[in-house]
Amino acid sequence: MATRPASPASSRPAGSAPAAARPRRPFRDSPLQVLLGIFALVLALAGMMLLLNRSSQLAPDFLSEFVLYALSVVDLMMLVGLVFVLARSVIKMLVERKRGLPFARFRAKLVLVLLAMTLIPAVLVLLVGSQLIFNSVDRWFNAPMDEMLDSAQRIASDYYHDRQRQVSDETARLARILGTADLGTSDLRVLRDAVAGSVTDQRLTLVEVYRLVPGADGLPEPVPVVDVASAAAGPVTSRDTSERLAARAASGQPDAWMREPLASGGELIRAAAVVRRADGFATGVVVGSVQLTGEMAARARGMTRAFESYTQLRVFKPALTGVYLSFFLMVTLLILVSATWMGLYLAKRITRPVQMLAAAAREIGAGHFEHRLERETVDEFGSLVDAFNTMADELAASRRALEQSSVDLQRKHAEVEDRRLFTEAVLDRVATGVITIDAAGRIGILNPAASTLLGLDAGAAGRPAEEVFGSGELKPLADLATAPYVAGKEWPAQEIVLNRNGREVQLALAATPLHGDGRQLEGRVLVVDDITPLIRAQKVAAWREVARRLAHEIKNPLTPIQLCAQRLQRQFSSASAPVRELVDECTGTIVGEVEALKTLVDEFSQFARMPSPKRVPTDVHQLLAGTLGLYEGLFAHVRIATLFAVSLPPVRLDPDQIRRVVINLVDNAIEALNQQGLIVVETQHDAAAGAVRIIVADDGPGIAPEERDKLFMPYYSTKKRGSGLGLAIVRRIVAEHGGSVEVGANDPRGTRFTIELPCGGEAPAGTETT
Amino acid sequence: MPGRLIAIVLCAFLAEAGGDGGVEVGAVARDGQVYVSATAPDGLMSDLEEAISSGLATTITYEADLREEVGIWFDRTLASATVSASVQYDTLTRRYQLSRSVDGRLADSRVCEDKADVKRFALGFDRLPLFSTGRLEPNAEYYVRVRVRTRPRVTFFLWPWGRDAANGVARFTFIP
Repeated sequence: MATRPASPASSRPAGSAPAAARPRRPFRDSPLQVLLGIFALVLALAGMMLLLNRSSQLAPDFLSEFVLYALSVVDLMMLVGLVFVLARSVIKMLVERKRGLPFARFRAKLVLVLLAMTLIPAVLVLLVGSQLIFNSVDRWFNAPMDEMLDSAQRIASDYYHDRQRQVSDETARLARILGTADLGTSDLRVLRDAVAGSVTDQRLTLVEVYRLVPGADGLPEPVPVVDVASAAAGPVTSRDTSERLAARAASGQPDAWMREPLASGGELIRAAAVVRRADGFATGVVVGSVQLTGEMAARARGMTRAFESYTQLRVFKPALTGVYLSFFLMVTLLILVSATWMGLYLAKRITRPVQMLAAAAREIGAGHFEHRLERETVDEFGSLVDAFNTMADELAASRRALEQSSVDLQRKHAEVEDRRLFTEAVLDRVATGVITIDAAGRIGILNPAASTLLGLDAGAAGRPAEEVFGSGELKPLADLATAPYVAGKEWPAQEIVLNRNGREVQLALAATPLHGDGRQLEGRVLVVDDITPLIRAQKVAAWREVARRLAHEIKNPLTPIQLCAQRLQRQFSSASAPVRELVDECTGTIVGEVEALKTLVDEFSQFARMPSPKRVPTDVHQLLAGTLGLYEGLFAHVRIATLFAVSLPPVRLDPDQIRRVVINLVDNAIEALNQQGLIVVETQHDAAAGAVRIIVADDGPGIAPEERDKLFMPYYSTKKRGSGLGLAIVRRIVAEHGGSVEVGANDPRGTRFTIELPCGGEAPAGTETT
Repeated sequence: MPGRLIAIVLCAFLAEAGGDGGVEVGAVARDGQVYVSATAPDGLMSDLEEAISSGLATTITYEADLREEVGIWFDRTLASATVSASVQYDTLTRRYQLSRSVDGRLADSRVCEDKADVKRFALGFDRLPLFSTGRLEPNAEYYVRVRVRTRPRVTFFLWPWGRDAANGVARFTFIP
């Protein structure tokens, strides 16, 4: 079983592969290899049995010089192999345990148990068998056997010695007899008679007489003279043997006897004696032989061979013991090697599929759903692998579907998030206040405009609407938030007036229900609009209409009135002085008031028919300087100071209308100062907002906050004189320029009017004061 | 513990390789030949006595090397010769068949009945011209190393690899 990717296209994503994911060699059952291994094992055992069976027939020398070596070499090799296999397995198991591989402990235990189950009996059998071999070998060399074989060998040897001594003695006796004879005589009968007695008496079987003659090398050389053999003696097999013995005796070697095996199965024991004359001169050699029967010789040889075999066996006892021990050790090692291999094989076969399954499960758990196992066996583990791969396939398919769903969900979430951000941005930017209230009556969304309009902080979100709006002037919102909902009917819009820092703010309230999928009420949305500017514009428009009608209706009769008055004045110019004075006074009053009314009507007309500004790029500082220059020397106790920005961009404006605005504000300031005080005209450039500000501030008594908004309403004036249209015209001119005018308190005292006009250019920041 | 085990094994190995020592070696350079004499210790004979008595053909081999010392490297072997003394005891006739060969050539052969003769014959040789002095440098130091091996060998029953039964060295200065 081995790991493999499900398909080439479904390889693991980069970076997600395990660092040590080295592909493992597939582990497969190989029946042929197993059979070959078993066959080799059986063959080795059969060979050993055969060798062991024939070991008794092999020479001890061969056993000790060859077999023992071969067995020892094989034993050593098997021992080294076993140690190597065990050491490798132990090291592998230690490494696996150190690396924390799954089933390492189980595998180690399994291998140890299998090894112990084999090793312990094998070692026990080896110990017992070794002792058995030692005992058996010792039994071969027991004392009775020693004595018996030694005695037999001594009997045979003593017999040979006796016979050899007899032959030697008899041969020496014959040599002495022949010392008086002439070995060179032609009458051989004399010589034959001299030695025949020994043969006749069976003291010797064969007597050979040699005459010594000088040889080529100066040494005496034996020449056969006569030989006498008994009738029982067979044919002399080889005269060479007796001649060599004779030559050896003639040369003076002391040990002149020998044995000669016969073809008939017997043996000849031969001895040689030098024939010497009385003066000691060697004239010849007598070789006497006695024949041992084949049966006798064979028995003696047999006893000797048995003795020699036994004693040689004793000599080779350690080597033979070693041979049998080596046999036994070899069988033990063979069993151990086989058992070790089998144990490791079984452990691997059992644990490896489980390990692979565990590793694959971890891979799947780590998200590598394309990880697969390769089926290596056709047994239950193979079926398990198939089931695992099927499960992995299904998991991978589920994972892919899940990932697709996740992608879709993320995309939808992103869309929703974009929409939410867009909505939030809109709600943040929109001037309309928006408040959402859930079904439980808690505030959900409270956009900045709503916070500003209602004077609430962001902490109001999440609190019950009734609690937040329950106080005073916000009570209508609480009513809207808690008003019961009737299906198909919407709540009526409301208007409320709030006081914000002394200013009256008019708000329009509207509520819209939020429906869920089942059309049930899930909450409501409150919309708050600041309609103060709208109301104000409506008022201005109304006043302008009033002014236009007033101007039209009033101005028409003024001229006839003025003309009538002037006619009366001319008619009564010739009247008496008292009458003329009275008429002059009355007509003068009429004309004066008519003039005043005309002025008032002209102002009304101007307010009603304000022309559109003719905007041209204008240097504001130059415009202000020229305008303020009109006041130089007019008011001794009023100082007009300027605080201009270092530079201002040119502003597109109608210079005449803006000049009128500035004059109006400065006039109001001088009047507020009661012609004594300081007026500061300041300019600012707000590059970020793209605006230029003109500020007119005085240190007069100031204006009450509640009156500030009313200042710009037509016909509202804090002065005892005037039409009350000045600031209304100011606001209209500034509004026509796309700007705004605000009034506030000056620091530390007085009033501060701020005109903000849009500009397109930029200028460096800074101020210059005059 | 492992260090101690290794030390024991090492000592045993060195003892095995070193042999018993004790061969008396004599070397004389004369007449163009290096005459070598060697006498093995008596103990060797007692080790072989049982094998000889059993009738086994027993051989004592003397491997003689003419060597020259080399400073910090292995000594150089200039020539080698092998002298073998074989003893075969006939348990029936109680006689010993002795033979000696030099480099495989039979040099001596005899029969005797006396153990003392066997001992003298087997346990050494006297003034055998084993090497020629042709390759020797005048006034140089040489030595003859003689290692003795026996067959059958005296072996441990589970470790058949034998060792030199004995060895010895004789130094001489070659003066032409």
